[in-house]
Amino acid sequence: MAAFRAGLLTPALTKGKSASISTIIRGARAASGSSKDGLPGPYPKTPEERAAAAKKYNMRPEDYQPYPDDGWGSGDYPMLPDRSQHERDPYYRWDHPDLRRNWGEPMHYHFDMYIRNRVDTSPTPLDWRTMRLWLFGFLGITMFMFGMGEVLPCYQPVAAKQYPYNNLYLERGGDPEKEPEPVKNYEI
Amino acid sequence: MSRLREYKPSPLATLPKTLDPNEYYNLSPEYRRAEEERTALRSQMKRQYQMQLNNPYRKELIEDPALTRWLHARNIVYPHFRPSTKSSLMGVAFGVLPLVVLYFVLKTDRDKRDSKIDAGTYKRPFKLSS
Repeated sequence: MAAFRAGLLTPALTKGKSASISTIIRGARAASGSSKDGLPGPYPKTPEERAAAAKKYNMRPEDYQPYPDDGWGSGDYPMLPDRSQHERDPYYRWDHPDLRRNWGEPMHYHFDMYIRNRVDTSPTPLDWRTMRLWLFGFLGITMFMFGMGEVLPCYQPVAAKQYPYNNLYLERGGDPEKEPEPVKNYEI
Repeated sequence: MSRLREYKPSPLATLPKTLDPNEYYNLSPEYRRAEEERTALRSQMKRQYQMQLNNPYRKELIEDPALTRWLHARNIVYPHFRPSTKSSLMGVAFGVLPLVVLYFVLKTDRDKRDSKIDAGTYKRPFKLSS
């Protein structure tokens, strides 16, 4: 590719005089990798456009299903099933093992959400309804019991604490000269 | 186990392939032919990648057109954008409405506080100096 580019530049450079900017730019633009046809385009309306788009994305025309045309801006990008990369076979020899993806495979529109560090859509040990029932049931019952405990407390009967020395008269800053009134904490 | 028999898939938890009835009952040739076509496409792409990967004269990185297309689709959205009902509603709901709601909420809260301060009835919360 570099030799091709150099070959294009040589006529521009050996034109005799110093090469003008336009010839150099024109020469440099001709050597390109992929073309603009490989990029996503507008929503396909006819079956031929759909077949061409499926071929562009390396998919079967029966598998190819673009996003609905509601002005959102996805164009003809295919709508792949919402499966995370967690679900793909860990023992298959992928070209990119950490992403579990092969080269050239059409990427999901939300691919960066479905990588193995993020959203996981793989099958769960129990189905969602059972898990939801168990979790919220447990939390609901626990919260209900705590609430009932606040409303109807249940503990051993206990009286106010009784202190000696006339309810700690001196310790509480009472006057040592004055005689405190006697405090009787018992009943006979 | 009865729990597995009752397993129902949900958007974030798919059906495992071993519980999928299609694998056991769908033996139609069309389904199998579709699988074969997909495998053929996959093998072609694998071959292309391996040819480029093991090319001893290759000096540059292997460019992935699927990745380029994905990046293009994600970032360059404006050319195919059309102001439809859904997109306009979303634009209003997420672009205009939060600003308006926030303005009104903050303004009323501040006005109430200002009127209380003017009247002298404002109690400062978390007041450290007594």
